[in-house]
Amino acid sequence: MPKIIIDGVEIQCRDKIPVLQAALEAGLNVPHYCYHPGLSIVASCRLCLMEMKMPDPKTKEMVWSPKLVPSCQTLVKEGMEVRFNSPAVIANRDKVMEYYLVNHPLDCPVCDQAGECYLQDYSFQFGKPYARTVDPKVKNPKKDIGSRTLLYQDRCVLCSRCVRFAQEVAGSGELCIVNRGDRAEIDVFPGMPLENKLQGNVVDLCPVGALLDKDFLFRQRVWFLNGTDSICRACSTGCAIRVDQNRNILYRLKPRYNPGVNEWWICDEGRFGWKFVHDERRITTPVVRRGAATETPPWDDLPVIIRQHLTAVVQKHGPASVAVQLSPEMACEEAWLLATFIRSIAPEASLALGDVQIVGQEEKFPFGATDGDVKFIIRPEKNPNRRGVEAVINGLGGNVISREDLAARAGKGEFKALWIAGGYPQPGWAGKPLIDAAGKVELLIVQDLFPGPLTEAARIVLPFCAWVEREGTFMNHAGKLQPFDRAIDPPEGAVRDGQYLYALAGHTGLYTGRRVREMMAKTMPEFGQLHVPPPVPEHQH
Amino acid sequence: MIRDSDIVFVDEPRLTAADRLYLPQVVMGLKTTFRHLFKKKVTLQYPEEKRPMRVENYRGVHRLNKDEKGRVACVACFMCETACPAHCIHIEGGEAPWPDREKYPIKFDIDELRCIYCGMCEEACPVDAIELTPEFSIVGLSREEMVFDKEKLLEMFDRTRELKPRKNPVITGYEYNTGGPIPPSDDQTEGLKAPGQPQR
Repeated sequence: MPKIIIDGVEIQCRDKIPVLQAALEAGLNVPHYCYHPGLSIVASCRLCLMEMKMPDPKTKEMVWSPKLVPSCQTLVKEGMEVRFNSPAVIANRDKVMEYYLVNHPLDCPVCDQAGECYLQDYSFQFGKPYARTVDPKVKNPKKDIGSRTLLYQDRCVLCSRCVRFAQEVAGSGELCIVNRGDRAEIDVFPGMPLENKLQGNVVDLCPVGALLDKDFLFRQRVWFLNGTDSICRACSTGCAIRVDQNRNILYRLKPRYNPGVNEWWICDEGRFGWKFVHDERRITTPVVRRGAATETPPWDDLPVIIRQHLTAVVQKHGPASVAVQLSPEMACEEAWLLATFIRSIAPEASLALGDVQIVGQEEKFPFGATDGDVKFIIRPEKNPNRRGVEAVINGLGGNVISREDLAARAGKGEFKALWIAGGYPQPGWAGKPLIDAAGKVELLIVQDLFPGPLTEAARIVLPFCAWVEREGTFMNHAGKLQPFDRAIDPPEGAVRDGQYLYALAGHTGLYTGRRVREMMAKTMPEFGQLHVPPPVPEHQH
Repeated sequence: MIRDSDIVFVDEPRLTAADRLYLPQVVMGLKTTFRHLFKKKVTLQYPEEKRPMRVENYRGVHRLNKDEKGRVACVACFMCETACPAHCIHIEGGEAPWPDREKYPIKFDIDELRCIYCGMCEEACPVDAIELTPEFSIVGLSREEMVFDKEKLLEMFDRTRELKPRKNPVITGYEYNTGGPIPPSDDQTEGLKAPGQPQR
């Protein structure tokens, strides 16, 4: 832990980090565009320049160096003295900002980045309120560089973050800088568009509005969005994300820094894989079938109805006649509430883990990286919480069976009541053995997002909410228990899974993940330890 | 805190015999009435007669201005929606069908019943596309009718363009990409020369 002096104040910082990083971690607002902790250092934006004390060549006395040095390229060293508040540093920022704005169009009103743009912020904080340029601005039309990304070249500040990302993290290196001087621009090679699976990250990395998301383009101004911390559900990596919504409509997902899990990145599959949330086919109300007639009971009556149905089966056929298929889309808390509720009625009920969707192979980034250099992994297991549900099932013990056994035994008529939790974003996830078996049981209760053959056959259908509407924890592939918060309300008529399962299990009041985790941790200590990423310095981006 | 010395006790004046009779007071009152009867009238027979109005800064129903080519001038930047204290503006932006423009409003709804006619939208607009007109007597038979959509607001522009022409030059217009600096408008330079002058 070296000690360095910034602006006359001594601070302690981590070892082997650039001075810029140390200053940001100390809470200083040092402007920077090209520096990103996840990428190599090029020191090309010249905004973070500082003054440093160096030995005078003649007298060997420590004096302020006559030239400014880039703070992103200078590593911290015990006892070094730097300053960011000298007139030379302030004048440099002012000049550099003016230089950046020479060709930048004044199109903030139509630019999607406005509101979270570091050109706006820095020009407001460190630049001039007027422009001295009289020459016409260089016009550079927008370019379609990839299936999901647009490039507005005239807004670009050439920080080369996107180029470095494509080379160093994605490993496919589609982007490059062509030409020199004021004609320099970001481009792709002819016939080779930006098509890697991490391309959404270049939009996050872009400190200005040059790279924009086609999916989010013109959809909403960013100052209307409210962010909620969540966890991505697209694979078992469990990337930390922020869910941006306004008035209960989801607009985009953004990655959060989460060292050891996803660092700064997320894949496009997770980033754009939330469209099912606003699908109109979703199940939004509970349905109870009595013969051919269906009815929608009020949520308050539902616990009693479900209890009556299950108790009738247990009294008739014994406590081992009930089986539950838990879904890897459920949060740990919900799986635990459901399993304990069923076990409270039928103590010998069998628990099974539902379908885990495996698609393709593990994809490691950068392409062709050996194990030590892997910077991002997209896992083939496309459900967020297989491990968490397994932990709940194993923690509860008792009759634990595989899902194949469950379907086979239910098909043979061994189970009279079956509770199947779905919640997979693809309608029609259920396999034939399960559908056949479901048709034979006396009481079928299905929780799902979309109607399908299972919900058609079910006596009781309950809506399964999308993960952005729920609250709880997912345990990722490495056993890290990560909490996610609810970002939006469920569709009208629906109640959060956690809430109705909480009521079903006999608790009163509001369901919160923390309350249930406290109950779980009494018997399963692994649910007492949460993995929450450290905060990012305020002025880091 | 009120001190005792601040309190002034006022006694009711004792009424004289004339006061008790009321008649002198009635005559005094009638005198005022008759005086005003023969003075110049200040009231107006409203629907037939109308007060002179300062059309350039009257804050009536909104309009959406059209540019020289007859297209909606709005660039869907949502500044008015952001500034609106009554949350009565609802915009949906989209990619403009014209090559020289980036963004335009697909939908532009103003709830004229919810609006408080403060004029913040007009001030916030960077392209002077939304303006308040001198039109104030609008009627509708339902609430839905009073939610003005894009077509209705553009129609308001056609109805009021003679009365109140679109005067302000576009300051930060979308002509940015036609090249060349945009000269500061006259109002701005005047404002810089004489700061603090009351604007009339």
